Amino acid sequence: MNTAISAEWRKLCTVRSTRYILGSPLVALAAGSLVAVLMTADWDGSTATERATFPGADPAVLAVPFTQFCLAALGALVITSEYATGMIRTSLAAVPGRRRLLAAKAAVVASVAFVTGQTVAVAAFVLGGLITGDRPAPIAAWDSVPEGLAAAFGNGLSITVIGLIGLGFGAVLRSTAGAFVAVGAVLFVLPTVALMVFPSWGEDIASLLPAGLAPQLAGTADDPVLPPALALAVMLGYAVLALVTAASALTRRDA
Amino acid sequence: MIEVRELTKRYGRVTAVDGLSFTVRPGRVTGFLGPNGAGKSTTMRAIMGLDLPTSGEALVNGRRYQAIERPLHEVGALLDASAVHGGRTAFDHLDWLARSNGIGRARVLEVLDRVGLGSAARRRVGGYSLGMRQRLGVAAAILGDPAVLLFDEPVNGLDPEGIRWIRELMRALAAEGRTVLVSSHLMSEMALTADHVLVVGRGRLIAETSMADLSAQFKRDVLVRSPRPTALAAALTTAGAAVAQMADELVVAGLDVAEIGDLAFAHGVPVHELTPRSASLEEAFLQLTGETVDYRAEGANR
Repeated sequence: MNTAISAEWRKLCTVRSTRYILGSPLVALAAGSLVAVLMTADWDGSTATERATFPGADPAVLAVPFTQFCLAALGALVITSEYATGMIRTSLAAVPGRRRLLAAKAAVVASVAFVTGQTVAVAAFVLGGLITGDRPAPIAAWDSVPEGLAAAFGNGLSITVIGLIGLGFGAVLRSTAGAFVAVGAVLFVLPTVALMVFPSWGEDIASLLPAGLAPQLAGTADDPVLPPALALAVMLGYAVLALVTAASALTRRDA
Repeated sequence: MIEVRELTKRYGRVTAVDGLSFTVRPGRVTGFLGPNGAGKSTTMRAIMGLDLPTSGEALVNGRRYQAIERPLHEVGALLDASAVHGGRTAFDHLDWLARSNGIGRARVLEVLDRVGLGSAARRRVGGYSLGMRQRLGVAAAILGDPAVLLFDEPVNGLDPEGIRWIRELMRALAAEGRTVLVSSHLMSEMALTADHVLVVGRGRLIAETSMADLSAQFKRDVLVRSPRPTALAAALTTAGAAVAQMADELVVAGLDVAEIGDLAFAHGVPVHELTPRSASLEEAFLQLTGETVDYRAEGANR
């Protein structure tokens, strides 16, 4: 197993797309911070009644969804790029156990996504704190440091799970474009569609989707559908579902 | 040693391989010959555990490929030289392969030198010529020093120098006592490389024979030129030969050159040319597989 993971790690480190994908959340962090700076400046020039209507100036609002998509793309590419080039056959010739190959890919995707996700989420929290300084809520997104860190951890974990969901879509669809579309649909389209189709409880549905679980997991959601433990279980359930489906597709079909 | 037993592979309603059985033995180059679409690549993929057989089995050293723990040490394969990520360097490509089977970096550098890519090892594969990719594929195949090697159409698209290199490499690998299975749709190529051939068509085994026997089997007629062809034709026909006459040329089957010459001398007929003709191996191949070609251009020969 270690040899298979080591090989997958080398594969990931030796293509340029990895660098681009893992570098781009920095752009989202910068953009999110810029928005937070502008909001804070606006806050400073507003009246007390206006201030009460402000949302929190939180770079994570932009950085986290973007990073979720990036890591989902990375997870998908780890396998779809092999189908695109035909290299999947070389991989399976070297590691013929298909579950073992998938497990090695999942281990690498999960660790990279975990580190990237936590880094981006904590960085967003720290940047948000620096930008809002000692200003009170609602412009300060978090009431306390523990609350902010809990939210960051939830966000980071969601990025990890979404990376694995990307891998699952990649293994099942075998096509980069197909996997990207599927991931985009789950992350961004389904929540909106849920709201449009079911105006009354669409928000509840959206909060059960992979991208909506993090605040409930962290216990920072205003109006949670699930308690933190259950939100964590559902999130892990998504990861397991993605991997089990991928394993079944890989073992049943010809390479 | 490769054993294929009653292997059948269907894709939907298309039967690519149909009850194929054969054994590939070590120490010689075994050619796997058949027209395009005969099931050669499918069989090789089944041997490698990439395609799951509909029925039957393919074993390498007595085991299913998927049951081998670190397979690169036992089996090396060059199935598709273009199946590499163009963004990786040759070294990086071999490096991940080596790691996956616990092979050291020293061996990676060694095989890169052996295939002549030592100086290009740090360049991205995307910039490689087809010949260089083929060499990289060979390097990957021999990386684990395996006793069994499979090459799928290894000379396709190579220049003459590359073709000769692959040929010599395969012969050298077999001479070291390894099992070497090489597929091709070109008989002439097999004639120069293989000791033993398996001829397949439409997923079935048509012939299994040594290359020498296959050549001998299709040795056939003698071209005779004589200023008195009609007299000679009569004499030859009386002696039991089948004769076709075209102007002053006779095409004689059933007698060899010496017998024809003696007969002409005995009848006092001058002979200007006596040429034994063997059917080209390409013709032999077409005869063997003629009924089995799936897609053929309308009106093209026969």
